[in-house]
Amino acid sequence: MSLAKSPWIIHVNVNSCNGCDIEVVACLTPLYDAERFGVLNIGTPKQADIMVVTGSVNYKSVNVLKNIYNQIPDPKVVLAVGACASTGGIFHDCYNVIGGVDQVIPVDAYVPGCCPRPEAILDGVVAALSILEEKKKGNIKGKEVKLKGNEVPSNA
Amino acid sequence: MNMNDILTIVLVLIGAPILGCLASGIDRRITARLQGRVGPPILQPYYDVKKLLSKDNMIVNPSQNFYVIVYLVFIILSLLMLVFKQDFLMIIFVYTVASLALIVGGMSTGSPYARVGSSREIMAILSYEPVLILYALAIYLLTGTFKLTAVLDASSPLLIYTPLIFIAMIVVLNIKFKKSPFDYSTSHHGHQELVKGMTTEYGGPGFATIEIAHFYEYVFLTGLIFLFWASTPIIGVLIGILVYLLIIVIDNITARVYWQWMLKLSWSVLLIISIVNIAYLYYSQAKLV
Amino acid sequence: MIENTVMLLIIVPLLFSLLFVALPKSLYKILAWALFILGAALSVNLVLDGTGVVQIGEPNFAMLENVVLILEVLVILFILAVSAKYKNWPTLGLGIISAAIFAYTFSNVPKVEGASFNIDQFSQVMILIVNIIGTAIILFATGYMDQYEEHRHLNRQKTFYFTMSFFLAAMNGLVMADTLGWLFLFWELTTLCSFVLISYNMDEEGINNGFRALALNLVGGIALSIGIILLATNNVSTLSGIGTYAGTNAAALAAVALPVALLCVGGFAKSAQMPFQSWLLGAMVAPTPVSALLHSSTMVNAGVFLVVKLVPAYAGTSLGTAIAVYGSFTFVMCSALALSQRNAKRVLAYSTIANLGLIIASAGIGTPLAVAAAIMLILFHAISKALLFLCTGEIEHTIGSRDIEDMSGLIKKAPLLTTLAALGMVSMLLPPFGVLLTKWVSMEAASSNPVVIVFLILGSALTTVYYAKWLGTILSSSMDKNAVPHKKLETYFPLSLLGLAIVVTSIFVFPIYDYFVKPQVDILLKAAPAISGLAGEFTTEIGAFTYIVIFVVLALAILIYLATKNMFTPRMSSYYMCGENNLERDRLMFRNGLCSYEKSSVSNIYLQNTFGESKLTTLGYAISIILIAIALLGGIGL
Repeated sequence: MSLAKSPWIIHVNVNSCNGCDIEVVACLTPLYDAERFGVLNIGTPKQADIMVVTGSVNYKSVNVLKNIYNQIPDPKVVLAVGACASTGGIFHDCYNVIGGVDQVIPVDAYVPGCCPRPEAILDGVVAALSILEEKKKGNIKGKEVKLKGNEVPSNA
Repeated sequence: MNMNDILTIVLVLIGAPILGCLASGIDRRITARLQGRVGPPILQPYYDVKKLLSKDNMIVNPSQNFYVIVYLVFIILSLLMLVFKQDFLMIIFVYTVASLALIVGGMSTGSPYARVGSSREIMAILSYEPVLILYALAIYLLTGTFKLTAVLDASSPLLIYTPLIFIAMIVVLNIKFKKSPFDYSTSHHGHQELVKGMTTEYGGPGFATIEIAHFYEYVFLTGLIFLFWASTPIIGVLIGILVYLLIIVIDNITARVYWQWMLKLSWSVLLIISIVNIAYLYYSQAKLV
Repeated sequence: MIENTVMLLIIVPLLFSLLFVALPKSLYKILAWALFILGAALSVNLVLDGTGVVQIGEPNFAMLENVVLILEVLVILFILAVSAKYKNWPTLGLGIISAAIFAYTFSNVPKVEGASFNIDQFSQVMILIVNIIGTAIILFATGYMDQYEEHRHLNRQKTFYFTMSFFLAAMNGLVMADTLGWLFLFWELTTLCSFVLISYNMDEEGINNGFRALALNLVGGIALSIGIILLATNNVSTLSGIGTYAGTNAAALAAVALPVALLCVGGFAKSAQMPFQSWLLGAMVAPTPVSALLHSSTMVNAGVFLVVKLVPAYAGTSLGTAIAVYGSFTFVMCSALALSQRNAKRVLAYSTIANLGLIIASAGIGTPLAVAAAIMLILFHAISKALLFLCTGEIEHTIGSRDIEDMSGLIKKAPLLTTLAALGMVSMLLPPFGVLLTKWVSMEAASSNPVVIVFLILGSALTTVYYAKWLGTILSSSMDKNAVPHKKLETYFPLSLLGLAIVVTSIFVFPIYDYFVKPQVDILLKAAPAISGLAGEFTTEIGAFTYIVIFVVLALAILIYLATKNMFTPRMSSYYMCGENNLERDRLMFRNGLCSYEKSSVSNIYLQNTFGESKLTTLGYAISIILIAIALLGGIGL
């Protein structure tokens, strides 16, 4: 149970409208106080367990997302927060948008909503925790994502 | 070395991290309460370390974990030397090895954030090291020896003779705990202007080592405050706890300052009041009995 | 036995200096190895021979005395000729004053009846330093000078090796001679060698700096010769005689105070203490082996050697206190100046001056403990600083720069060299190594004098800071410079030897203290320091330095690291740069807002505005000159 008692989160914003970000930050405020579950919003991926992604992935941010994903040590889970991160949302057919986060990196849990309420996000984190425990038990490693995939246009 | 000494060593090795872990947990709890939150369980730092030890060892530089191990063992050594009432000047030098190891460890990762954090921490050394050695000098002037035996055997407390150094030491502790307003080399909270400063590139077991070393360091630094009233251990412990609580409160009510500001504060105020205290001790020829 | 060794110690380097001139360049490596082996053997032999005084009586004395006279005339003529040739009028003026003093000495001061060499434990330590470290440095030079000359289009190696081995002979004579007249000759000869080697490049900068060194050392030499003349009026003509004479009664102590103060000023100039420090900084233009040999481990030590030898004449007096305050002031001032330097050789130069200041401060305190610290610091500092200088030289050849910031990430390109340099730096500022031990002893000894101890505390913190910056930078993992490591035996053998010497002398610090330092302090002060070495501790009456425990813990840390290295599934990753780094070309590049890549660069903090040379040097000059004036006035007895 060691992992579940101390989930450290890195929050990555790839092309989000900031709606979801505000809700993520709201989780840390006294009203919702995520720290009572041991949740810390940590700055560096090297110390993180859960990657909370907001926003739909576009061509400019895709490498950032992959880079940070690669830098989180195993076991790790990815939580897609909001409609955009889950599916691409209202931006899904934009010229520069690739789509949801799961188009680029494996996602373990989705939190729907535009934007999701803090309770929903906390619920997502709790759901992610059980996946984290399973990954630790099964010794499942996240794959290193290649930086130059199909989704990168040639001029990037 | 007899049975008693070995028992003491084992007690320190096991007891200190437990105390430090509790202190760290209480710190997070009080901080949360001051911000109107519930806060994590008291044992949260223990859960954190346990989790970090179960993670993969992700490194940038093959030798980066060596420096944090040096940091840990030298913190433990300086704590043990304090418990065994060794030469105080020597304890400070051993403690400097530990501080430098962490700085070099931060720099060895080569990441820009870590290097900025380390450069700032080097400036912190410039601020607190003279005050620490002046504290040792005060002990020498009062007892005629740098060995701590004399302080612990004395019947009157050190604090009566060294009030100004006590004040300076509170600020030094603030710097050493890396608490606000002096938390610019690495931060305990989500103040992420430098990401995680010196420890940006440390994760998993390496970062767990740093956390455990911090537990020992908490006990060591509070022990330095304890010395101010070692003649009555209960009062000494109380003063240690009070200073610790004071630092938590300061942490929560102040904003981060520039490192230049700290350097100015240290070399203009802390050093001067310490030297005034030393001058008083030297000219009054006061002795601790 | 001992007579032969003493003579050989002077003759062998002289012979080698001639061999270096006579033989072609291709044989220099063999010559240097031979010199190293012979020098090491002779110095060890001298230690085995034990201590004693070597009297030179008639008929040899008359002949040798003439040689000395001729050499002194030649030295003065050389100074006059060289300064006239380059139209350096201050030096010429000082040369003329020296000549006048020499003429006065020749005609008015009574001649001595015989000369003597005094081999005590301190001389043995110095001989070991000069002949093992010194010859190792010449060996290093054979792997260094070719490339150095290639860069600068020079072909003066014959001059270089001739002067270097000639210097060894002069230095050997200097640390063994007891007769003040002879000591003075050797003193001036080392000054000349220093001048020739500083102006080795023959460019304007080199020649100017050479003349500055010559002029400032001539000032010291003039002070020294006046001191010697004054001592001669008291019928004191030997170095050991000063202490004996001063010890007879209070009047004698007062009578020698002024000449002793003058001799100390000579020593300050030689050791580049505060008002004279500019010559040592200028001397950094010389090739690195020169800096390592003359300007850190041996020649500058001659000054502190003299000051320590004079301890019986000022221990416990107000002159002693003035010297202690002066030395500790130089220590803190030069440590502060080193803080703002980016040039590695300048950092080392300031660090050298600071540490010599610490030695002088310890000598000035004058308690047995402090004098013991001074002698040990000379030994440990010489080893560490020689290693650091040689490493800097080799680093410069590897990356083509001596800027500390450029050395970032050196550990990846030249691991052995960086490890040795790091060892040298760690040994300068951290326990359990010798330099820190002696700094600790002198701090404990100085704690009775509030001014000195406060200076030492501040200087110690500053020392930690400027070495920590450098240490962190070379051990960092990001490299910008193009590095070409060379793997030559004659380069790495001296480096490894010095590195090994640091560790071995630090582990065996107590036997070294017991064999060399304790009897010497006994001779100087008629009282041995109360130090015991039980259970791996260096225990004084006021504290204990537990060095063995620290070695054990350090070994433990290395063991833990090696044991846990492959645990916890290790995996390499790249730096965290907010995910924007360029992984293909350079991992320290990040993508900026315009989608082009830019290099991130971080530099250390140098505090130029607070500790810069322009801010502090004038202040340092003023205070140090005042302190010297106080010392001299104290000497006259005002």
